[in-house]
Amino acid sequence: MNKILLLIFSLFISFNLFAQNEIEMADTLRSNGKIFTVVAVCLTILLGLFLYVFMIDRKINKFEKEINKK
Amino acid sequence: MKNYWWKILSFILLVYTIVAGFLLKVPRLPILNETIRNLYFHVCMWMGMMILFSVSVVYSIKYLRNFNYKNDVFAVNFAAVGSLFGILGYLTGFLWVNVTWITDQGQSLASVLKEPKLIGAAIALLIYGAYFVLRGSFNDIDKRARISAVYNIFAFCMLFPSIWIIPRLVGSLHPGAPGSDSGNPALDRKDLDSSMRMVFYPAIIGWTLLGVWIATLKIRLQLLKDKNIIHE
Amino acid sequence: MFRQIWALFNKDILLEFRQKHTFYGILLYVASTIFVIYLSMMDNPDGQTWNSLFWVIQLFVCVNAVAKSFLQESKGRMLYFYSVASPVAFIISKLMYNIVLMLFMSLIGFVLCMIFLGNPLIDSWMFVGIVLLGGLGLSLVFTLMSAIAAKAQQNAALIAILGFPVILPQLLLLMKLSKAAFGEVFRGGAILQLVFITSMLDVLVITLAIILFPYLWKE
Repeated sequence: MNKILLLIFSLFISFNLFAQNEIEMADTLRSNGKIFTVVAVCLTILLGLFLYVFMIDRKINKFEKEINKK
Repeated sequence: MKNYWWKILSFILLVYTIVAGFLLKVPRLPILNETIRNLYFHVCMWMGMMILFSVSVVYSIKYLRNFNYKNDVFAVNFAAVGSLFGILGYLTGFLWVNVTWITDQGQSLASVLKEPKLIGAAIALLIYGAYFVLRGSFNDIDKRARISAVYNIFAFCMLFPSIWIIPRLVGSLHPGAPGSDSGNPALDRKDLDSSMRMVFYPAIIGWTLLGVWIATLKIRLQLLKDKNIIHE
Repeated sequence: MFRQIWALFNKDILLEFRQKHTFYGILLYVASTIFVIYLSMMDNPDGQTWNSLFWVIQLFVCVNAVAKSFLQESKGRMLYFYSVASPVAFIISKLMYNIVLMLFMSLIGFVLCMIFLGNPLIDSWMFVGIVLLGGLGLSLVFTLMSAIAAKAQQNAALIAILGFPVILPQLLLLMKLSKAAFGEVFRGGAILQLVFITSMLDVLVITLAIILFPYLWKE
């Protein structure tokens, strides 16, 4: 637990140092196209989430039909 | 299939949010830097929460008008998903605060949390926490529905004046505190960049629709479960 | 209508005089709370601390004083009131009774605080006014909360849970307002504005109570 906290803390410190410079944006990330990886990851998560919700929706639909038939 | 369009809309809007939110240009601001993109995710949680809570109150009022058990199920589930959004908003806000407000001005977390918007949000979450505790203390279904509807309406009506009042109070409690205006451009800035608006508003709609979807799933499930006690 | 309200109000007051133990119970609660704070503080607190301590004491006294207004009514008696009085008359009489009770308790709390915790106030009369205003607001909100909690099972703790988030803005407002009595200078008209906002909140609570109470009342 402590180690995790330390890790998170050090992460924030590194952010902190990062923020000290001039108005710095993630320009390198953008210029070498790696930002697309980030977008792809997020989209995959979103897609998975929606698929999951959609499956539940279908399942409830089925149940509703079954129960209403009775 | 006829009622599916808004679920698809939600998906499309959120895909748009992520793609445009990461790739479009954002204003270069000090302190915030790239984290300004959190606006599309974190702030939308709050907006979604408030919209879902409002929907919940509308169903509570409807319940008191006709005492239909269905309306109570709607009210409680919208409140539950709204609380989920609120908690997510609080957690993400916590991360964001750590890299922007605190590191910049060397403030302690406790002083930052006195920010008016945060107090308003905390009150909203506490109210709905109390709402669920209240619900838990009844055995009788009709009584539970009726009384929690009354509390829901009362608390919500008190929430709005407080959201309006507190910024005046707390803001003036810390005169000239640099954190109160300069560290908080995403929330307070009136002149939100127009390119950000183009992503921000669809993002709110997208996230809210997702919340509504989840809420309707919960509602349908509960209605199925309680089939035998609903008499129409 | 007015006669109903008056009769119910009278009955509550009369009951208070008959069963003095509940009344003295709250009185003792106020006194012992302040005494505990007095003992736990080495020296007299400064204005800021005094102010927040005072309002926190008020809050807890109110929870305890107003809580019993609905809890003390037995089921049979409620049924009787239900048959003879309209719900609006009932809630108004309860509100009035709790206002009187709470104003009284506020004043006592104020006097005791002055005695035990010292007097950092610049303008005492102004603070008395604010205390009365605050007692009014607190008692209104907690009357309705008590009405809600009385319907649930573990009601005593529930009042605090239900009431605190709702009362929070009002309490902040009052603390801010009472700084004026500590000599803090406000912009011109700001005090009146704060008083106005507080009274508007009270009006809002009364309106909501009158609209919503009939729904609580049905059994």
